[in-house]
Amino acid sequence: MHIPDGYLSPATCGVFGAVMIPIWTAASKAVRKTLSVRQVPYLAIGAAFSFVIMMFNVPIPGGSTGHAVGGVLVAILIGPWAACIAVTVALVIQALLFGDGGITAIGANCFNMAFVLPFVGYYVYKLISLNSPAGSNRRIIAAGAGAYAGISLAALCAGIEFGLQPLLYHKANGQALYSPYGLNVAVPAMVLGHLLVFGWVEVIVTALVVKYLQKQNSVFFEGGRS
Amino acid sequence: MSNALNKKRNFIERSILSALAFLKDATLSEEYANRKGFLQSLDPRLKTVSFLAFLVTAISLKSAVLIGSLYGFCFILAIFSRIPVRHFLIRTLLFIPLFSLFMVLPTLFSIVTPGEPVCSFHVLGLNGIITRPGLDGAVLFVVRIATSVSLVVLLSLTTRHSELLKVLRVLGVPQLFVLTVSMCFRYLYLFATMVENIFTAIKSRVGVVSHHRHGQNVVAWNLANTWNRTTQMSEEVYMAMLSRGYTGEPRLLKVFHATLKDWVWLCCAVIICAGLFYRGQIL
Repeated sequence: MHIPDGYLSPATCGVFGAVMIPIWTAASKAVRKTLSVRQVPYLAIGAAFSFVIMMFNVPIPGGSTGHAVGGVLVAILIGPWAACIAVTVALVIQALLFGDGGITAIGANCFNMAFVLPFVGYYVYKLISLNSPAGSNRRIIAAGAGAYAGISLAALCAGIEFGLQPLLYHKANGQALYSPYGLNVAVPAMVLGHLLVFGWVEVIVTALVVKYLQKQNSVFFEGGRS
Repeated sequence: MSNALNKKRNFIERSILSALAFLKDATLSEEYANRKGFLQSLDPRLKTVSFLAFLVTAISLKSAVLIGSLYGFCFILAIFSRIPVRHFLIRTLLFIPLFSLFMVLPTLFSIVTPGEPVCSFHVLGLNGIITRPGLDGAVLFVVRIATSVSLVVLLSLTTRHSELLKVLRVLGVPQLFVLTVSMCFRYLYLFATMVENIFTAIKSRVGVVSHHRHGQNVVAWNLANTWNRTTQMSEEVYMAMLSRGYTGEPRLLKVFHATLKDWVWLCCAVIICAGLFYRGQIL
């Protein structure tokens, strides 16, 4: 789902960068309120965790493997605003230091993976889990549903961003200047791939990690951070 | 060992390889950044600004020839910066550009991009017609991606990662964010080593995980365990920060100094970008 440089026009990158500025500002304010100076390392280590989740390869039926993005899991564990900063940090490090995902597309990538993904996932999780006990199965189901909804909607956003490019930016003879496929191709390609395959990897990882954390350290689900 | 078994234990090996690839990339980048080359000798702030200008130019231009010339410029810079040519080409042409090339192939044909035909062929009873807008669009797209990737790779290979993160602060990124990024980066090494150790231990003790569901449980259990260890670690890290005099306001230890050479480089970068934009307007 990482959008590299060159897939989106400079104007699209600018718009998403501008959209993300108030979100990052709000996230910083929310995090300052809820996390003290003491918890800056907590945020940094949360960001490193969201980076490291992608190193864990998950076996899927058929003998292949995939990896989760983990945005919803981090949101459930440290809250959506802190997750927004944590995932942004992970994306910045990936783009700037490892050339994975674009520098100019950082606004769009953060919108999809650091805003839409954790917020949608977190609120679906909250909606389904309501006030259920910390160790209940309902929270595991809620985490899985949140992960599925979060990644599917993030994929839809990425599909729309790709699909708008040939409509908005093309030469007079119809030559596409950026991502070449319109909404009719880009949206199904992104959404179906995530609904049918990648979304399920996200569901499995998020739900199982929540299940094990309930057993190991249920404090994460006892009304505090989550 | 049968293919099926090989496939089933792949997630263990792939996880080890992911962690090792991260560590190898990070170590190799630091090694190149410490070499005595042209880009390594520049002030990280002005170098980053100039590369951002090149990047914006690369994604704004509409001519594959002009963007390609920028790729050629990157190639020359890589040579003068003592980056091995093979490594540069692998990093900049494989992976993202190759994936982009495969992705864009269908747009060559008239069924996706109608327009003036360039050539046609007949395969398995099907008529394939490659059109001018399809071909030009695909070439422009792939060249743009390769050039963008090469600019980012060149910047990250020739700048020490810790300095690159400090440049964020100089560019006006808020302190809380830069502090988090810097700390996160340090812990990535630790976590990557942790992931490698976890899966090496699983491999040595279990060997083969017989079913994908069991494998998923193993991964989830270890992720949960990693999270528990990270939360415990954050408290220890905070105590270590306090013991070193942390008061809530981080300080930059290294002060950057720009020399005449750095300003000349920045002027050259601006002139090159302006020249490319000008040529792009009249082409």
